[in-house]
Amino acid sequence: MVNENLVKDVVKEPYKYGFVTDIETEKIAKGLNEDIIKLISQKKEEPKYLLDFRLKAFKKWQKMKEPDWAGLGYKQIDYQDIIYYSAPKQKEKISSLDEVDPKLLETFDKLGIPLTEQKKLTNVAVDAVFDSVSIATTFREELAEHGVIFCSISEAVKNHSDLIEKYLGTVVPASDNYFAALNSAVFSDGSFVYIPKGVTCPMDLSSYFRINSGDSGQFERTLIIAEESSSVSYLEGCTAPMFDTNTLHAAVVELIALDDASIKYSTVQNWYAGDEEGIGGIFNFVTKRGKCLGKRSKISWSQVETGSAITWKYPSCLLLGEESVGEFYSVALTNNLQQADTGTKMIHIGPKTKSTIVSKGISAGNSINSYRGLVKMGTKAKGSRNYSQCDSMLIGDQASANTFPYIKSQQPNSEIEHEASTCRISEDQLFYLQSRGIEFEEAVSMMVSGFCRDVFNQLPMEFAAEADKLLALKLEGSVG
Amino acid sequence: MKIIEKIKTNKSIDNQTEIQKICLDKLQSTPLPNLKSEQWRLSNKSKLSDFLDYSVNEKDPKFDTPFPKTSQSTIRLVIGENCQINLIKENFAIKQLSEDQLVKYIKEQISCFDQNENWSDLLNLSLNCAKNTLGLKISGSEIPPIEIFSHASSNTLNAKTLVICLEKDCDIDLLQVNLGKDNSSLSQSTFFFLEENSSLNHGVVSYGENKSNLLNSLNVIQQKNSEYNLGSLHYKFSYARFEIRIKQSEGNAKTNIKGMQISKKDEQISTYTKIDFNGPNGFLDQINKSLADDKSHAIFEGSIIVPKIAQKTNASQLSRNLLLSNLTQIDTKPQLEIIADDVKCKHGATISQLNEEELFYMRTRGITLTEASKLQLSSYFQEIISFIPVSKDRWDLLDILLNEN
Repeated sequence: MVNENLVKDVVKEPYKYGFVTDIETEKIAKGLNEDIIKLISQKKEEPKYLLDFRLKAFKKWQKMKEPDWAGLGYKQIDYQDIIYYSAPKQKEKISSLDEVDPKLLETFDKLGIPLTEQKKLTNVAVDAVFDSVSIATTFREELAEHGVIFCSISEAVKNHSDLIEKYLGTVVPASDNYFAALNSAVFSDGSFVYIPKGVTCPMDLSSYFRINSGDSGQFERTLIIAEESSSVSYLEGCTAPMFDTNTLHAAVVELIALDDASIKYSTVQNWYAGDEEGIGGIFNFVTKRGKCLGKRSKISWSQVETGSAITWKYPSCLLLGEESVGEFYSVALTNNLQQADTGTKMIHIGPKTKSTIVSKGISAGNSINSYRGLVKMGTKAKGSRNYSQCDSMLIGDQASANTFPYIKSQQPNSEIEHEASTCRISEDQLFYLQSRGIEFEEAVSMMVSGFCRDVFNQLPMEFAAEADKLLALKLEGSVG
Repeated sequence: MKIIEKIKTNKSIDNQTEIQKICLDKLQSTPLPNLKSEQWRLSNKSKLSDFLDYSVNEKDPKFDTPFPKTSQSTIRLVIGENCQINLIKENFAIKQLSEDQLVKYIKEQISCFDQNENWSDLLNLSLNCAKNTLGLKISGSEIPPIEIFSHASSNTLNAKTLVICLEKDCDIDLLQVNLGKDNSSLSQSTFFFLEENSSLNHGVVSYGENKSNLLNSLNVIQQKNSEYNLGSLHYKFSYARFEIRIKQSEGNAKTNIKGMQISKKDEQISTYTKIDFNGPNGFLDQINKSLADDKSHAIFEGSIIVPKIAQKTNASQLSRNLLLSNLTQIDTKPQLEIIADDVKCKHGATISQLNEEELFYMRTRGITLTEASKLQLSSYFQEIISFIPVSKDRWDLLDILLNEN
């Protein structure tokens, strides 16, 4: 018999990113109204079309109702009790990283994100976002040599306004859903990536999001455009300090892939999940969507979701271009009182489009982990295919694992296959591994890692190793 | 509220039974199901309103049994007027439930109803008078197969209710046939209670005619060590909705379900199942097949609920769908909701058309395309048809289906 307490101990690991950086910040007043939106827009010196975009979104948001269909139990969010703009105070213009507040650099250092010159050896360009603003973007000159634009979205609004005006809100319209509308109204910063025609991005691009302030929400917006025959791999990481209040994170990510372009978007989400009693933690309500506009374009989402008190996230692909490909690889781990409702939407519109979904959910403690996905074959999606696989692993008899796949087809010449299964860590396997001299914790960790292997294989090298470690840490103490 | 008014105008208030009053009261607060809810959102609104459009008919229409070959070894019952049976033999007994017993049992069921989920039952019970309700208590073994017919008559809405309690160690084969007529609506609610060690092989064959509608609701409660096998077939309805709710009240029970729905023209045929494991060691094996052609719409939604108490549950659910035309639509949603950790649960779903390679192979062997398609369909249907009890020996369901396809 597996010692339940022992296994539970394996899942418990203190959140090591929970520190707060003591830094002077500039915050605007709490609350949300047109004046606040105008103020944000003014602070960011935005052109008129963007202010109009925000105000229009705000009007739509006011008419919308917060969605409750996912059945996530959380106390009502007071949207007037949130600070919508918070930025560390710094000199007006920064010409080099030396001018960035050393405390900020230290923060990212502690998080393991190399921003300073001497540490930029890992060949990953980083855009670091602290609360509402982007602090620094590394390797910009090197990327510029290839014509790749990688900067914060605020800078892109100033320097590449035409691209922003052309593409912003085309994949996730402001009226798409409640949280997308909110984000469209108040988004503060985020990353912008543009890969020109025929360019394979010479290095992985990465954004690191850090919420530092307990009373401000983070509403970043990411826009990635891959022109014809280009390709890019983008990584995203997130952490936040431990507060006993809930912080709202409502982001929007839009990806656009033109003919033969490929975008790989990987996330390791490790927002603060709240304590064992479920106090505190981030509400992670994110809208991520990619549009495969061009022929043979490809968008691949891979995600490792381990943090957040509540996750509501469905990275999706609109497969418009002929022979375009959508992929979704996900590991979602919930522990204690975490709730995750995550999955994907694969909307096949063009002919011969293909999609693959591999989702692995691990529920421990008293958590709820749901896969919710939609696969839709439109009338023109002739010769299209989908394959979905959703596996859940239950750890302990208090956790819950749900699967809600919505499958819809209007095209006879298409094929959809879906399968789902539920299992637990087998005592026999544990016994076998232990009898071979492998420590209990290591055995559990090995089995979880094996369970998630299909997804980890899809992650970029750095992330795969990190994800594996993260899962092992998160799981410490919960197998039973 | 129209529907409530309609029901009321169809009968004088004084004649209402106690059950009807309770259900009407409940319906008053939800005169229509919540069409935004998961269970109803895909339902064709205009077809549902067509269903409710007919006036309620309490009198039983003349019934011509469509199927020949009444066998002496089969007990055949038609729900409606003069449906009486009291058969006590050496090995078994089939007794009619007294009105008090019926009311008591149905009231117990109503107390557990969810307004939205059991809306079809509420409608059925509010429409139905005592004479269109058949309640049976069955005990013993070596019972001859039973066939029970429910039928609608043209231009009316008919409601039939069937309640069957199987006593301990009882073992029967039962076939339920629901027949639609031109421009008609049939509301059928069935309640089964399976006591310990009992076993029921249940078949449901529902077929309609031009513009006939069906709301067919099936509620099964299984006590431990009971076995419930269901084979069902629904076809030729403009609008048909088959709701299956099974509760293994103490676990340790076995459920096998094999269902088939065929939709053509602009028909909408849907199956909703909810399997609730309320104890350990439950078993479920379910397969639901759809064939959708022309402009039709086929829907399957199945949910498996495994609470903490239901350890060692073994459940599998498969939805297989054939989509044969460009204008057809198929929606399928198998769901798992699991809290117990020591369980084996899985589900799968596929949507495709007839396998081209198989067709090609048969054609290279000199079989015509039509014949080859028929052969494929035959194997697709056969798995389900052969699982429907009673019918298989004497009814040529497979032939009927193939000749229509």
